[in-house]
Amino acid sequence: MISISNVSKQYKGSPRPALNNVSLEVEKGDFVFLVGASGSGKSSLMRLMLREDVPTKGSVHVLGENLVGIPSRRVPFFRRRLGVVFQDFRLLPNKTVAQNIAFSLEVIGKSQGFIQEAVPEVLRLVGLDGKADRLPSELSGGEQQRVALARAIVNKPALLLADEPTGNLDPSTSQDIMALIERINLAGTTVIMATHDRGIVDRLKKRVVELKDGEIIRDQVGGSY
Amino acid sequence: MKFVFSEIAQGFRRNLSMVVSVVLVTFISLTFVGTASLLQMQIGQMKNYWYDRAQVAVYMCSDVSASDVCPQGEASDDLKAAVKEKLESKTLSEYIDKYYFEDHEQAYKTFQDQFEGNAVAKYVTANQLNETYWVKLKDSTQSQIITESFTGVAGVEEVRDQRSYLDQIFSILNAASLAAIGIATLMLFSAALLISTTIRLSAFSRRRELGIMRLVGASNFYIQLPFILEGVMAATIGSVLAGGAVLAIVQFFVQGYLAERLPFTSFVGLTDGLLVVPMLIAAGIVLAALASGLAIRRYLRI
Repeated sequence: MISISNVSKQYKGSPRPALNNVSLEVEKGDFVFLVGASGSGKSSLMRLMLREDVPTKGSVHVLGENLVGIPSRRVPFFRRRLGVVFQDFRLLPNKTVAQNIAFSLEVIGKSQGFIQEAVPEVLRLVGLDGKADRLPSELSGGEQQRVALARAIVNKPALLLADEPTGNLDPSTSQDIMALIERINLAGTTVIMATHDRGIVDRLKKRVVELKDGEIIRDQVGGSY
Repeated sequence: MKFVFSEIAQGFRRNLSMVVSVVLVTFISLTFVGTASLLQMQIGQMKNYWYDRAQVAVYMCSDVSASDVCPQGEASDDLKAAVKEKLESKTLSEYIDKYYFEDHEQAYKTFQDQFEGNAVAKYVTANQLNETYWVKLKDSTQSQIITESFTGVAGVEEVRDQRSYLDQIFSILNAASLAAIGIATLMLFSAALLISTTIRLSAFSRRRELGIMRLVGASNFYIQLPFILEGVMAATIGSVLAGGAVLAIVQFFVQGYLAERLPFTSFVGLTDGLLVVPMLIAAGIVLAALASGLAIRRYLRI
């Protein structure tokens, strides 16, 4: 599913590498927490898996694609096969909930028939039925993240990348979102989640990969923060 | 497709003033291009018309000719006969369509007609005007043959190709059309820059959507298409306006004004105009597609 080997990433103008000789294997159906302080390299690693960046050294394989050698015109097709959520939700403020999800299907050329069926279904799945016509500004933070999750999984991706999805949410809302992500994982989607939230990591007892100064210092199954 | 068009409509609304300036700049620059190419066509037509009628004049010596070329004064009948004989000789006659002789009286009459009402007409006498052999060649570009045969011959004052007068006029017209093309090129260049700035602005105001589109895996073509079409549509409006302006110039200025005042000249007509219009529209579309395509590619790479 994911195979990262001996990856280093050096940004221009920075004295020390953001990632230093990192190797990581993730199997299908896994749930992996990426933990570590700010600047430890979590986001750099996520960016490599999304092919927003290429490593300075080493190789990155995700969903069977070699992300170092992939031609840039194939990148969009690779990204259609995974879902992404962020701390800041990244919803379009002038589109309703349903339109936000439909937009991501329209731009990859799905038919209107498919969209009309898939959008209500995924909204029901994330517990937002009845709010299809709201604007993001009329929703709570937790609800906005549900919309973002709905958009990420509407295409039934094999992999979900979550970059601090609970970073802007209060603890009880975070729990609801985590329950949803766990359900997505149980349905067979591999989940990689970068987080600072000690409570969530300790409670879920999943595989934990800890980064420090661009190096993996711990990779523990059933670990805690 | 519905999505693409709603994106274009949004883009137009969001930077209306830029779109209007793109329309205007392409309109004006393509009008220049169109006018310049019509002027070139006009020059071509006039060349055909006038060169066909251009003759070579063999001026015979008269009483008032300068004595260094005409030491014997007025050309005698013998000398005139010699010129005539030479014109009819085998070597020259195959190049000559026809020729005729204009004596003092005829020259005087033509002169009086041409300068009627002018003060100079009163002072000129028939003897001061040259007697002339007017030679019409089969191919008017071969005037060299006549010039070489008769220059320096006794009794001949000067050989002159009328095309040399025409060439001056045409070179002025040509310079004018080249200047128009130069201005047009400069304006087209600024139109291209304006289009790419507009597109980059449009992309910047939509950067959130662009980020999300890339995230969910919209193909580059799909992301770029609305921007390219936005530029192309603005430029198309401009070039259609330019086409209309060119046709209006042909119809109302050239045919309606010039042609009525200069009845013996053939002018470019609507058929020539209609030939130029599709060229202008195609040029506008290609220019806009290239400019906006390059702009959006550069923007998206960063």
